Amino acid sequence: MALASGISRNFDTAKSKSQLQVVWEQFRKHQLAVFGGLVLALLYVGAIFAPFISPYSLSEYSTTDITKFQQPTRVYVIDPETGQFNLPFVYKSTRFTNPDTFEEGYKEDRSTKYPVKLFHNRPESPFQLFGFIPMTVHLFGVDAPGNIFILGTDGFGRDTFTRIWYGAQISLTIGIFSVALSTILGLFLGGLAGFFGGWIDNIIMRFVEILSAIPDLFLLLSLSALIPRNIDPVVSFYGIIFVLGIIGWGGLARVIRSQISALREVDFVQAATALGASEMRIIGKHMLPVTFSLLIVNLSLSIPGAILTESGLSFLGYGIREPYSSWGLMISVAQEGGFASIQYRPWVLIPGFFIVLAVLCWNFLGDGLRDAVDPRKRQ
Amino acid sequence: MLPYILRRFVNLIPVFIGATLLTFLIIQAAPGDFLDAKRLDPRTTPATIARIERQFGLDKPVFVQYGLWLKNFVTGNLGISFESNVPVWDLIGPKVFNSMILVFGSTFLLYFIAIPIGIYGAVRQYSLGDKTISLVSYFFLGFPSFFFALILIFGIIQLNWALNTKVFPVGGMTSEYYDTLSPIGKVLNVLWHTLAPMIALLLRSIASESRGFRAQMLEFLNQDFVRTARAKGLSERVVIYKHALRNAITPFVANIGGLLPAIFSGAGFVEVVFNWPGLTPVFLEALFSQDIYVNVSIGAITLVLLVIGNLMADFLLGAVDPRIRYY
Repeated sequence: MALASGISRNFDTAKSKSQLQVVWEQFRKHQLAVFGGLVLALLYVGAIFAPFISPYSLSEYSTTDITKFQQPTRVYVIDPETGQFNLPFVYKSTRFTNPDTFEEGYKEDRSTKYPVKLFHNRPESPFQLFGFIPMTVHLFGVDAPGNIFILGTDGFGRDTFTRIWYGAQISLTIGIFSVALSTILGLFLGGLAGFFGGWIDNIIMRFVEILSAIPDLFLLLSLSALIPRNIDPVVSFYGIIFVLGIIGWGGLARVIRSQISALREVDFVQAATALGASEMRIIGKHMLPVTFSLLIVNLSLSIPGAILTESGLSFLGYGIREPYSSWGLMISVAQEGGFASIQYRPWVLIPGFFIVLAVLCWNFLGDGLRDAVDPRKRQ
Repeated sequence: MLPYILRRFVNLIPVFIGATLLTFLIIQAAPGDFLDAKRLDPRTTPATIARIERQFGLDKPVFVQYGLWLKNFVTGNLGISFESNVPVWDLIGPKVFNSMILVFGSTFLLYFIAIPIGIYGAVRQYSLGDKTISLVSYFFLGFPSFFFALILIFGIIQLNWALNTKVFPVGGMTSEYYDTLSPIGKVLNVLWHTLAPMIALLLRSIASESRGFRAQMLEFLNQDFVRTARAKGLSERVVIYKHALRNAITPFVANIGGLLPAIFSGAGFVEVVFNWPGLTPVFLEALFSQDIYVNVSIGAITLVLLVIGNLMADFLLGAVDPRIRYY
């Protein structure tokens, strides 16, 4: 009897659920996907509030107080001298040269404590939140001349933590924008080829074939080399989006084309044609909605790929340029000064783990979505 | 069979011309050219520049240049590298060999490791082992290859430092004392240097290939003919290895077509990070100094190899899949 009631209950609820509700319910059962979505939400919020979260400005470094490759600042909760509990504070690190080995290093100056302040006002690094609210208050910071570099500094002495969040603004959005561009291209050109067939189909598909015949890394680097080296870095940002976008549309165009050309023969499309619907109406109202779930899945599974590609391009010096920050660009510092140098400044590798985290979470999210829209995988 | 090959070749000619023309145009369209640096150099007279321009045909329109290049390419002449003033093949030939060492080795190991992992994941679906493997693969898929290579280098330096010996070299292809070694010693020395870049290349590709293979196997393990095979009392071993595996492996055989160009185009970022004297660094240098014939030739050879590789894959597919026949 339990079985019978189970069936009838399912039957009752199945009637009242929309497609979207079913997908959402399935998605919520995929724990890794929910986890991925939450972490991504945190990362994106962090990117939006980057200037507020970070204690310094994007490319701020002092020319008098050299902080080049300074190790992460230790935040003390227990006073190392008295052993007593204290509110969080830091010591200022000063640069010294070892008289015997001539190696440069940093030593903590234990004479003054600099308490870590929440909502610290720092007029030297003003910013505009969301691009229009002028502010000088940062989430945390210490009074001058103390420094707080919780993830160390780079070769100029700029704060890694700050540049990671500013870099997130670029690394995380470039994936979305470029995939959006390639989706629009793939949808439009694949749709044209599938709907009209004939010579339009021939030309578009031959072009896809030619593009896919050229090795990816080769095409990517040659196209990125088109962006002049001395151009405004903002223009090069859009250039990279464009390059990634025009490389990625071929695969989607193929899938869309085959789906659209199959749909042309389906009854409801034939019915629409018989009723005298215009071509645009048939494509927009009857065909594209069918490809919607495919698009969403494609979108979320292509974004991690685009994030990886951008990081690689920036790493090689063909992507995002200074003074802007991106996670790939930040890691390229690790190669400065030969292999052995990584040993003395391992913190320059930290931005890489943000790439891993972002790609991992996008993959979780994408797989969860793919399983949720696939009726064969429903539980 | 022969008509099929001929038809394939005829169909591929427009793709080849289109792709090389596109690469040629893209590379030519980059701002400035090779001579820019020379023009700024006060030691080079305008007459010299004009002579070089004439010599390499740089003063002609792009399409004429492309025609000249294509004619030379078909006759086996890849042109001359402006930067080092030697024929392109002399420049890239040795590098191709270096890249091949890495790519051959890692591809062989890739299939050797990834296919068993994939079979295990499919046969023991949702077991603890399967879940662990898929979580670990997810994790490795998140690593950009250059970042993973840098982490490996960091680990190797720490290891060498802790043990106070050189357990692994941190880069390059040969040691400083390479020339003093015996022939066998030389081979072993190079192999020793391949270990770290090989691991960097492998982990990511094992992660993606084994996941793909697992999905393929599952697709077939759930089909009717497998149930029939089990129902008629075949041993599980025969069901998995003879019925499911032989079907699941076909897309991977098709992928072998991509191997040939992959061997040629090198190991990418890993070569750059590990300072491996392969093809990728040469390509990047040539791109930077706009030594165009080096770049275009690398692209064109890769394309030819892609075409040949795809044809080879077709034959292999015909061999492993009796349903495929070519007419």
